[in-house]
Amino acid sequence: MVVRTKGARGRNRAIFIRKFPRQKGGNMATSNSLLPTDSQQQQNLDAITDDDFEYVDEEFVSSNLTPEEQQPAPKLGPMIPELFKQPPLVKDGLVTDTSNLQDQTVEQCLPFLTGEDGPLKLNAYGLPNLNREKHIKFLKQSLGPLPGRFVAVDASRPWYLYWCLSGLTMMGEDVSSYRENIIDTARTMQNESGGFGGGHGQMSHLATSYAVILAIALVGGEEAYDVIDRKGMWRWLCSLKQPDGGFQVCVGGEEDIRGAYIASVIITLLDLPLDLTPDSPAYDGGRSNLLTGIAEYVRSCQTFEGGISSQPNNEAHGAYAFCALACLSILDNPRRIIPSYLDLPRLVSWLSYRQYAPEGGFSGRTNKLVDGCYSHWAGGCFPLIEACLSPSGPNSSDDKKTSTGLAAAPESLYSREGLIRYIMCCCQDQTKRGGLRDKPYKMSDPYHTCYVLSGLSSAQHQWDLDSDPLPLGPGETTPTMAALGADSVWNVFPYIDDNDQIYDDSDRVRPIHPAYAIPQKNVNGIRGYFQGRGFA
Amino acid sequence: MPPKSKAATKPSKSLFPPTNPTTTTTTSIQTTSSSEPSTEPTTVLERSQQRYEKTRPFEAARQKQGGSSKLSKEDQKGWICDQLLHLTNRLPQASRSRLLGPKASKEIWWTINGTNSIDRGLTKKPKPHSTWGTDRNGHDVGSYTIERFDERIKKRTALTALLVSSRVFRENVEREKRGDLDARSGCPVIVTEREIDDERVRRSKMAALKKELYGEITGKLAGSVEWEDVVPIPHEEPEGALAAIAYPADYAEAMSYLRAVMATKEYSHRCLRLTQHIIAMNPAHYTVWLYRAACIFALKLSIPDEIEWLNEVALANLKNYQIWHHRHLLVEHYYPTIASDPEALAQFAKQERDFLIAILSEDTKNYHVWSYRSWLVGKLGMWEDQEELKSIEALIDEDVRNNSAWSHRFFLVFSNPEYSTPGKGATEADPKCPQHIVDREVQYAQQKTYLAPQNQSPWNYMRGVLVKGGQKLASVHAFVEEFVVKLGDETGEEIRSTHALDLLAEIYAEKGETEKADLCLRRLADKWDKIRAGYWNWRRQCLQSEKKAGPEQPGEEVTVA
Repeated sequence: MVVRTKGARGRNRAIFIRKFPRQKGGNMATSNSLLPTDSQQQQNLDAITDDDFEYVDEEFVSSNLTPEEQQPAPKLGPMIPELFKQPPLVKDGLVTDTSNLQDQTVEQCLPFLTGEDGPLKLNAYGLPNLNREKHIKFLKQSLGPLPGRFVAVDASRPWYLYWCLSGLTMMGEDVSSYRENIIDTARTMQNESGGFGGGHGQMSHLATSYAVILAIALVGGEEAYDVIDRKGMWRWLCSLKQPDGGFQVCVGGEEDIRGAYIASVIITLLDLPLDLTPDSPAYDGGRSNLLTGIAEYVRSCQTFEGGISSQPNNEAHGAYAFCALACLSILDNPRRIIPSYLDLPRLVSWLSYRQYAPEGGFSGRTNKLVDGCYSHWAGGCFPLIEACLSPSGPNSSDDKKTSTGLAAAPESLYSREGLIRYIMCCCQDQTKRGGLRDKPYKMSDPYHTCYVLSGLSSAQHQWDLDSDPLPLGPGETTPTMAALGADSVWNVFPYIDDNDQIYDDSDRVRPIHPAYAIPQKNVNGIRGYFQGRGFA
Repeated sequence: MPPKSKAATKPSKSLFPPTNPTTTTTTSIQTTSSSEPSTEPTTVLERSQQRYEKTRPFEAARQKQGGSSKLSKEDQKGWICDQLLHLTNRLPQASRSRLLGPKASKEIWWTINGTNSIDRGLTKKPKPHSTWGTDRNGHDVGSYTIERFDERIKKRTALTALLVSSRVFRENVEREKRGDLDARSGCPVIVTEREIDDERVRRSKMAALKKELYGEITGKLAGSVEWEDVVPIPHEEPEGALAAIAYPADYAEAMSYLRAVMATKEYSHRCLRLTQHIIAMNPAHYTVWLYRAACIFALKLSIPDEIEWLNEVALANLKNYQIWHHRHLLVEHYYPTIASDPEALAQFAKQERDFLIAILSEDTKNYHVWSYRSWLVGKLGMWEDQEELKSIEALIDEDVRNNSAWSHRFFLVFSNPEYSTPGKGATEADPKCPQHIVDREVQYAQQKTYLAPQNQSPWNYMRGVLVKGGQKLASVHAFVEEFVVKLGDETGEEIRSTHALDLLAEIYAEKGETEKADLCLRRLADKWDKIRAGYWNWRRQCLQSEKKAGPEQPGEEVTVA
């Protein structure tokens, strides 16, 4: 609900009033009473107390909006399919905490999806534009300096580098101007014993190393690449490699599927040798190498639901599905390795069920809520899934059938329209803060900004895998001499919808590599630099 | 400047003709300064400025007039002498006399003395801000009243005295460490408890004074006797660093001490307290947690005590996951000490479960808690523990849509080493899985399905159980049909669960009834679950390609020639 008042200096001031009380435990009032009708709204305003609602007072810069543009929707009404305008057809009566939260989320999203919520200019399909300018400003601000309360993310600072630079890159900004700063920042995070930590004096961690290396790849340039101590990195990776094929995230840390994905990314981007050092926990006299058993570890994380968990025997979770698929796609051609190691039909089923209507966005687990970040974690799995369900190579005789024995994927396995609607309508923070978010009424942050944009990017593009699997060595089930998937040739095209395209062309963001999550040219830049290079 | 004065500034031995000292007493400066009533200064700055003017009357006059050319001839001469004097005063004695020669020096002094200047100490004009600096609020100390300034001077003196005593104390500590002997008594130097207490009091006084005088915040650690011997390693980062955080003073200090103790691999009680201090400020700091674990193991501290402390921290930081890895490490370490004692093991398992129940009641789907829980079941071998199954059932009864609880149940039942084959995939049939377990679990899932048929959790569970047990999906055909009424009948069609329709499609496909399977999928795509139309249509295509391929199962491995 928006109440317009005259603000200082003649500018319009919009006061947003949170329609829903902050969640207090699970004791929500019945959902119907939460949404006052329009005629009730004005009356209710007087009765609202500060205890019930949170006021979000934002000054709206409305000078660039003409009075016509301030109309909430065109006269005929935008073209929004019914699917995105009402709760699902099949619904149970039983009320539990889960159903309460789900109903509340649907109610919070609907006004955004139907364009009834704000003064935004919507296109003929009921979508606002991507507020590039504000999102860019938000990300640039997040690159610092940051106030003291950010101490809570002190161990995640490298992530800020990646999230912000990746988001800026996708929105078309040239981030090479940050090269010097990245070089300086990365140096303080690198440890003499190899790898990057969260900051000066923090232990090396795979997650922070991944973020720093991708940030370096994003700014590019030999000077930046040279910051990385590859020999130290290799030694350190050897110390994390476990006998079961997986990787610990740091020395003494947990072993999980993030480790497997990140190690594959680092090994291939830096073209590290695969040999294990004799002091590696996985050293067995030279039979195993850094890649040995990774695929088996990934396989052990698939659950009875078909999704992937962080470690064997846990619940299937969207973030880990991406890690699993991207990891396998780096190790070998996804057409061969994904169906060999994972139950593909079950995985596709589970992934498809992550998308909800009317919200259009993805959830991370069964019976959990949609969240903008799963636009990437779950949505970003589809280019890889579609690659292994694409008719194999130009020599294939049957273009309806894939090498998996399953039918070729249609144009799109999931509803790109649904995801794009959720992102454009529900995930943009339209206040002067900018940035993208989990869902309406949540604060935007660099994490969500990056991954919502990544999801938008994958929904707007189509990736074709242009290479057939290269032959394996005798007796191999996965490549052991090199990560063959890293050499796969991917072609990217703008996704053209058979029906009308619901978003404006100006809102198309740049594509990123489906496994490395940075643009292809940056992947090629850093790999090309290190390829065939020994240790200096 | 007129050429005359310009020439005059050049030091030369015959600069002035000999003058009668008595004439200089009649300079205008002398007259003006004595005629002006001297006002009482209100601030320190004013007082100093007045003093300055008194000691350097020519310079003061020149500044007031706006240039030496505006001075009278006599005053100009006096000003030049004054300048020369101050210039040469900066030089060493030898070069001073070489520059001017004894005669010229004498003349200069004559002239200056003739002005009756009182003091020649102030060479620079006092200026606001730069002369005394600023206080803790950023105010110029020069703007203080005289009384307030005297007060400040007293405090500074007190602080200096404390600093001196504190240095003596620290020297004594060093001497005690080295085992030095006291010069007077000849006994080894001993720092007494009382002296330590005195030093504590002194330090808090010093911290208070430093804060009051300069706004300097002395960290808890820098001011503490305990951390005396550690030289902190401050945070290092170049100016252009990105996402740089303006660390609060306490945090920055604690981290600089952490860097120092980690560099020397010190594992001690004070380090343990330091980690607690940092964790309270930033519980997401993985480095601190790992260091804490290392300290506990090195000091051989009680694991149950640490777990008790951890419980509090976990309840206060529900979303934190470092806590759970820390707990994992603690249990790994503790387990061997109780492994051979079934009673202790059962007791420990119960304690852990009680805490897990408590924390899950706050956040029923917390991923990290559930991950820890499944690991714990495996570690402590809680497979046959009926309480574990009961507690999961309680959570499912509370919210039948809690998928985390369903997942844990699947793990608990089907990963039991008693009836599972190691290495089997989760979606693979396991011949070791007994029929009665499969039946029991299918029945359980079906009961729960009735409560809310559109709830996917028990559907996924049931399907998972059937696959694990190697059963045909068709064995639940009748049950599934209950949720699908008049399929394909435009008017009477009623779907109580889209998941039932999904499974029904699979059952028909399994039976080879492709047409019926296709109808289920078509209805899902066209009406009941349109968001997944792309997926349902792909499934329809799969049906066709399977039909073409014959009985061959999909998903078979590709063999590359």
